Amino acid sequence: MGQGKSQFTEEELQDYQDLTYFTKKEVLYAHQKFKALAPEKVGHNKNAKLPMAKILQYPELRVNPFGDRICCIFSSSHDGDCTFEDFLDMMSVFSDGAPKAVKAEHAFRIFDFDGDDMLGVTDLRQVIDRLTGQQHLSEQDMQHLIQNILDEADLDDDGALSFAEFEHIISKSSDFANTFRIRL
Amino acid sequence: MNDTAELVKNKMSGGERRKRTSRGQGWEEAGAEFYQESYPADVDLEVWQRDPAHIATLLPSKQSRAATSKRVRGEVKPTLRRRTSTRSRYSSTARRTSTAHDVHMAMLPDLSENLSNEERTWEEIMQIKAMPVSMMQKKEMKAKLQTATKLRLQGFEQLKWQRRKVWQQMKSRWKETYSKLELWRHSLKKIEGNFGTGVVAYFLFIKWLMFLNLFIFLFILLFIILPTLVLVPQESPANTTLVEECSRNYFNLSVDSSFLDWVQGTGNMERTIMFYGYYTHKLISEDGNMHSYYNLPLAYIAIAVIYLLGSLAVMVKSAAQGFKERLVEGEGQFYQYCNLVFGGWDFCIHNEKSASMKHKALYNEMKACLEAERLEEERQNRSRDEMLKLMIMRCIINLIVLMVLSGALALIYYTFYFSQERLNKELLNPNTELEYLYKFILEFLPSIIIVCLNLLVPNMFAYLVSFERYSPLFIVRITLLRTVLLRLASLIMLMFSLKDIIICDEPDSCSCEDHPKCWETYVGQQVYKLVILDFVTHVLITFTFNWPRMLIAKYSKSKVAKFIGEQEFELPKHVLDVVYSQTLCWLGSFYAPVLPLLAMLECCLLFHIKKFACLVNSRPSSTVYRASRSNSLFMVVLLISFIVAVLPVAFAIAEIPPSKSCGPFRGHLTTWSVVVESFDQLPAWIKSIMFFFGTAGFAVPIFVVLVLCLYYFYAVSAANKQMVMVLKNQLVLEGHDKQFLLNRLSAFIKQQHEHQKVMRQVEMTNLDLSNAS
Repeated sequence: MGQGKSQFTEEELQDYQDLTYFTKKEVLYAHQKFKALAPEKVGHNKNAKLPMAKILQYPELRVNPFGDRICCIFSSSHDGDCTFEDFLDMMSVFSDGAPKAVKAEHAFRIFDFDGDDMLGVTDLRQVIDRLTGQQHLSEQDMQHLIQNILDEADLDDDGALSFAEFEHIISKSSDFANTFRIRL
Repeated sequence: MNDTAELVKNKMSGGERRKRTSRGQGWEEAGAEFYQESYPADVDLEVWQRDPAHIATLLPSKQSRAATSKRVRGEVKPTLRRRTSTRSRYSSTARRTSTAHDVHMAMLPDLSENLSNEERTWEEIMQIKAMPVSMMQKKEMKAKLQTATKLRLQGFEQLKWQRRKVWQQMKSRWKETYSKLELWRHSLKKIEGNFGTGVVAYFLFIKWLMFLNLFIFLFILLFIILPTLVLVPQESPANTTLVEECSRNYFNLSVDSSFLDWVQGTGNMERTIMFYGYYTHKLISEDGNMHSYYNLPLAYIAIAVIYLLGSLAVMVKSAAQGFKERLVEGEGQFYQYCNLVFGGWDFCIHNEKSASMKHKALYNEMKACLEAERLEEERQNRSRDEMLKLMIMRCIINLIVLMVLSGALALIYYTFYFSQERLNKELLNPNTELEYLYKFILEFLPSIIIVCLNLLVPNMFAYLVSFERYSPLFIVRITLLRTVLLRLASLIMLMFSLKDIIICDEPDSCSCEDHPKCWETYVGQQVYKLVILDFVTHVLITFTFNWPRMLIAKYSKSKVAKFIGEQEFELPKHVLDVVYSQTLCWLGSFYAPVLPLLAMLECCLLFHIKKFACLVNSRPSSTVYRASRSNSLFMVVLLISFIVAVLPVAFAIAEIPPSKSCGPFRGHLTTWSVVVESFDQLPAWIKSIMFFFGTAGFAVPIFVVLVLCLYYFYAVSAANKQMVMVLKNQLVLEGHDKQFLLNRLSAFIKQQHEHQKVMRQVEMTNLDLSNAS
């Protein structure tokens, strides 16, 4: 921990503490974990930009079906490569301290594959496909499932979920806060 | 264009049609100029003409979403709390003394209106973390906020703000230390990574129970055990009563102790603080003289009531939280599919095997949900004959279940009698080794029978329930209910068979023939034996039965081995194990005050045993356990067990006369009479208040008021539900309207575009013609 502390100035740590849901110690711990992904590169430049392939070696992200989407969303250059600050942002949103609204916002972006700010039928289809892994639902089942989701959640009946509708479901789901979480 | 006008006309309500028509037509004709005025750049118009759906992005709802992600630094304005600036302005002007000065100041423009003060800046900095922008932008925003000119706070407001900052710092530091101290953090993370949050909820439940037992034991230690050890009972008067005589006889009995006493609680252990019999019925004080005394009997029963009520309060609070969440989720509808898809993946899973199991589990759950829907439809369409057959089948199965339960209970009763008889008649003085062994087995026989029943009967229930053809969720619930019934009923049966032994009403002698001299200690010993046996069973089953099974499945390839060996971590069964041990703790704590300490140690060890069973013996389950539903399940089962455990104790306190030879209540008529006597010693005004609470003059109005409150809340909730329905319908209609208008707009723009193209072509041909000529 002492080595980590010497890499960051007090001011930077205070900045990180104010701008994320972490305390200073947790920021340093996050840096340790980031460094473990590529020790030499991060040793040179504490805010090094690591390619997406390296970020996806982080255990929880490696097995996550939405790992690449998460990297794209949090990457400041929008191509999946993350600096330490992006990584810190990511872990902060996934931490226990982040309120449900913030998590809902980012979950919406992760699930929105085509980036049109609505969860349409294609987005839902991709989400379900990624969730089932090797097994695939039959076409009929998939359509049935998507129809059920839209029946439950699409309040203005326009065939897609807007952010307001998504946030409405999330606020009613007590499981979401438990599952949408990565512990450092 | 005319048909558009028609449609617009049709959309308007009938009454306004005539008025709108003229305006509508005018609008139609002025259409082109109208558009060109509002939409400045031709470039934009072309973009829309190419892709009319682009208009959707101009809607206000979409604009506000874009604003949150691209919030330009300059725009971080103090839109909130504008009132603070005006408030501070008024308060500062109020301090002026001369009125002329007041008027003068009020007329000057207030340049401070758009500047924020330190506190607001700090608040805004704290809010930056919620914005979905990259860290670099956040840092820039913070830097800008910090360097912007801001007012310094004065006096009281400064103090308040400093206090807020300090409070925030303390909270974050507390959070840091707490997370380091969290017990078993590493194990919980490992289980979470492998099995998901539903299973972790179970281990958190064990931890919660452990802390509950710790608190109960601390209470008992502080108020009952410590005074007994430290203080001295008052000296007995010269004349001896029956009680004194019996006590002397009992405590002077010499017993031979053996190693087995540790497990049974007999011998030397019987007369220690472990059991009820040790505690004195006299008042105790420092030196035996009654200058200031400590009323141990009253303390004993008061502490018992306090910790039972405390456990109840804590459980109800936990259960209510889960209940509230279910209500919020529900409002008539549980978002099953949305929860499955959006909240289905546990982001904390970190190894490949669990991830693939999770994929499979999600796939199975999705198929099961869809299947359940089909089954529902099928159920609706069941013919009458089928329904009748199914009903008869279900009745038969329920009858069989009841018969099995009663058979089990009868078995427990007769076993108990059999062992008692043998022990009292034949084995009072065991001589040979064989007789010792026989005696030992007979002592434990009822407990062994209960444990065997708990192992075998649930499997039978699981087999029977497949004939009843319920929906999968209901199958889990009803199997759980039946197993809980079995376990609690067997405990009750044991208590019931004990009752015959302990009730004995001979006023002249110390105790009845063949009855234990100190029945409370006897009951404590029985519960203690059950606890020990239960724990040993868990250890044996996990390590010597399930672990070899796992090894067989892992190292042999044959199908039979896999069938025997592969186990899943079935949550309901393990929940019942933990709840059962907690029930025993509540049941026996009154008669064996050190039992909560044992229960706490057992919870601690059980955590690690179950962790072994989970991580090593089982593979990830193919059913999806959800943390929220699991929690409410645990609490409900715990509540039911609590009520069942408290009933025998309450009955004993109220009805059964305490034994004359031992315990804090010897000499009294019933245990509860100690409380009655102490109550009589209270001053008269307290007594009259308590009596008033019991009269009808108080109870009836309170009851009426409560019923009225209940009705009021019910009416409010019904009205809210109605409102939600109305608003939902309105939302759907508005959505349809919006879609319709967007479609018409894009169709209109397309038409415009076509029209313009045609016009331009006509112009060009005219120009060519005029040039040519």
